Amino acid sequence: MTPAEWQIVAFTAGMAVLSTALILVPGVALAWCLARLRWRGKSLVETVVALPLVLPPVVTGLVLLKLFGRRGPLGHWLYSEFHLDIVFTWRAVALALAVMSFPLLVRTARAAIEEVNPALEQMARTLGAGEWRVFFTITLPLARRGLLAGTLLAFARALGEFGATIMVAGNIPGVTTTLSTDIYQLVQLGGDSHAWTLAGVSLALAFAALWTSEWLMRGRKH
Amino acid sequence: MSLLLKNIFLPLASFTLEVDVEIRDRVTAIFGPSGSGKTSLLDLVAGLRCARSAFIKLGDRVLTDASRGVFVPARQRGIGYVPQDLALFPHLSVRQNLLYGHKSGGEANPLFTFERVIEVLEIQPLIQRGVTELSGGEKQRVALARALLASPRLLLLDEPLASLDLKLKTRIIPYLTRIRDEFHLPMLYVTHDRFEALALADEMVVLVNGRIAQTGSVPEVFSRPASLSVADLLTVETVQPGRIVKAADGLVTVAAGSVTLTAVEQNLPADTGGVYVCIRAEDVILLTGGDRPSSARNHLPAVVQSVTCEGPLRRVELDCGFTLTALLTKQACEELNLKSGNEVVALVKAPHIHLIPH
Repeated sequence: MTPAEWQIVAFTAGMAVLSTALILVPGVALAWCLARLRWRGKSLVETVVALPLVLPPVVTGLVLLKLFGRRGPLGHWLYSEFHLDIVFTWRAVALALAVMSFPLLVRTARAAIEEVNPALEQMARTLGAGEWRVFFTITLPLARRGLLAGTLLAFARALGEFGATIMVAGNIPGVTTTLSTDIYQLVQLGGDSHAWTLAGVSLALAFAALWTSEWLMRGRKH
Repeated sequence: MSLLLKNIFLPLASFTLEVDVEIRDRVTAIFGPSGSGKTSLLDLVAGLRCARSAFIKLGDRVLTDASRGVFVPARQRGIGYVPQDLALFPHLSVRQNLLYGHKSGGEANPLFTFERVIEVLEIQPLIQRGVTELSGGEKQRVALARALLASPRLLLLDEPLASLDLKLKTRIIPYLTRIRDEFHLPMLYVTHDRFEALALADEMVVLVNGRIAQTGSVPEVFSRPASLSVADLLTVETVQPGRIVKAADGLVTVAAGSVTLTAVEQNLPADTGGVYVCIRAEDVILLTGGDRPSSARNHLPAVVQSVTCEGPLRRVELDCGFTLTALLTKQACEELNLKSGNEVVALVKAPHIHLIPH
């Protein structure tokens, strides 16, 4: 592989790690709220969170572009307050990957938390534990395999993201080009052999992440 | 320390739990058939469940007062709970389970030191093991110890022995008796087993379909069920406190009231003194016209107190030095021409006398 190809692999993996890290805490927190609390508007939030799963990724990308563009409501605010540009920068890549993989994390994490017997959490409370202690000593350790599987699933999804990324981050060589966008472009320009190399790397990464995730999910049953 | 439960109103699947009771004694059995609201009642006391209407006070501390929006969360109630499935933490070792709620120092009750609880429940050999490696009886003891180590002011036990076979039950009961006697801890003991209620409890609250059918001391409730449904539930009519005076040749001699009875040896603990003598009404045979030899070991001269009609059966209350109940068919009752004031002899075979240590 050429140094340029290595750069793209490292950048894509780095962005996938960053986006997964960004959504980990809010994703697990939301999953807990969905699994353990009853609140008004719960099903609305559930639906909104799941939308990127079924919406064409290009549409999600378009929405992000309008929201975070310099004239969009969020983009304008970020620029005037912090001088931060989002769209067509590496930040837009991380944002697109985060939004697209969020539903997978939340769904898997929610299922993992729901599998923890609530009687054990109740027991911890009667033994004097507050809500944080119950979460960190009972819920989290008992749901850990499922949570880890969800994290890997989100990471794998982020690695392969294309539609939303190309809308909101474009394909700027050395700045926002990821594995998928580069493969697309290579094929367009007739660089099939390079495309195949990158496709092989994608396949290996995705396979490893999914395999581990599946293995973790199966182990949970025992 | 008394536990006051007032205006409890909690709609459940097929009935409404409606309770108004003050529980004073050290060990109170909440007795009732499955699905009578016993566990829901414990959940309310423990603070694991809210009711639209409830007032719960332990000692002088109000724990729940729905009308004023008071609800002390479970973690601040200081109430130990051993649920039916024990809820041991599967990802922690026995030691970590025990120490989860362990209080030491200022807020701990000096009675519940780690060493003492471990000693009383004989947990030392289990301490390094994983929870999943324990047998049913061992799990039971670990769950009890874990609850005690949190220095509770009240212990709630939800059918703690229901999942154990009779042999294991008789091995666990002495541990519960020890907790009662050594830690002087008030307990609410949910059960639908008369053996457990008699062995452990001082007071009884009988719960049927969410309502209290009767409250009173254990022998009182057993010997004078307030209604037919309570009598049906208890399935035993005569419960008389007694004392073992002799055990020889596989037979036990028990003094009860002014008479002595012969029962079959029943694997009682060696130091048993006080017992409840339990006799089911259908196991009592009546003879008229004087005593005659028979194979039954117990011949009790008695006077008929009353005869009441129960469908095809007649319930006959007798005074034989204590109150003994016999259940006869209508035909038998007519043939013997039983009326109150008649002198009869009550026959009870030794194997039909059940002794429950207390």
